[in-house]
Amino acid sequence: MLQTMNLSDDDASLMLRYRDGDTEAFAALYANYKGPLYRYLLRHVRNACAAADLFQEVWSHLIATRARYEPRAKFATFLFHIAHNCAIDFFRRDSNLRRVLPAYDSDSQLPEAEVPEHQRPDRVAEFVEQQSAVLAAVAALPQEQREAFLLREETGLNVEEIARITDVPVETAKSRLRYAVRKLKNSLRPMQEPEALRLRTYA
Amino acid sequence: MPDELKPDELADYLRGGSDVSCQYQRDSAPEPPHELDRLVLKSAGSSNSKMPFKPQSLAPFAFAASVLLSFALVLAMVFGPQVKKPDDKPQVLRVRIFKSDPPRATPASARERNPVLWLADISALRRAGRGNEADAELRRFRSAYPDYIIPISE
Repeated sequence: MLQTMNLSDDDASLMLRYRDGDTEAFAALYANYKGPLYRYLLRHVRNACAAADLFQEVWSHLIATRARYEPRAKFATFLFHIAHNCAIDFFRRDSNLRRVLPAYDSDSQLPEAEVPEHQRPDRVAEFVEQQSAVLAAVAALPQEQREAFLLREETGLNVEEIARITDVPVETAKSRLRYAVRKLKNSLRPMQEPEALRLRTYA
Repeated sequence: MPDELKPDELADYLRGGSDVSCQYQRDSAPEPPHELDRLVLKSAGSSNSKMPFKPQSLAPFAFAASVLLSFALVLAMVFGPQVKKPDDKPQVLRVRIFKSDPPRATPASARERNPVLWLADISALRRAGRGNEADAELRRFRSAYPDYIIPISE
């Protein structure tokens, strides 16, 4: 069953209350969203240190700009749009990432001095190896597809809202999600088949 | 195409309950470290105020505070406790203002200013039998001219 959060406008009301100075409203919002946001960032950037930094950056941005908050969309859309932008900035800042990921997939190696510690191929590989099969498959998805899938799984938002968060047309978001699901299914199938064969043998 | 997702598979996935979704949700769900919780909540609390800080909104209060402070300062100067110093005691100078020249001693008559004439008057009083008056005038003469040698007849 898809994990969905309480995305009713209660969260927007909480944010409005926080905008007006109610700290307890913020604590309630934080409790609702800290897990999904952290997992989205962790599995999107694939590094715990960077995820922690971005997590703090997202909440700091929300706190700093709370005075301008207007409930024009679901609060989750608002929050994860900030997170999406922070992640984009992170990927831009670390322009080496685009060179490291192909290097990880192929055999070519970049000089280690040019690569940040957390993005070194062996670190990325280590991160992937520590995950379960499905998380490793998610980590191996292309960046945009991975993000679409994580947004869907962590927030339960629909495709239109995912498109809004990622600033792309709905069809693009739908396409990304479709390809992500297809790749994950294909990645998980070989692991399921031996088990299925074994069950059939015992039967 | 074997690798292509069937149209209804995406719809199935979006409805929830797909294998991919179930496996993802079954997996561990890491939470942010408590240190991050503490930092974020502290940041939200420390920046909390009823309204975001707007310096221009404080201008009326600053003006009112300035007026109040000035008024209190004046009151303190007027009615507040004062320390008396010996030197602070006002010095009263009595100045007599004269519209004309300062008064002099009672002007003596022309005869008094002249000892010979004054003595002649005293002799006349004595001859007229007014001895007491002559003695009084003589005492006044001696106080006025203590060094004057009076003839024996006086």
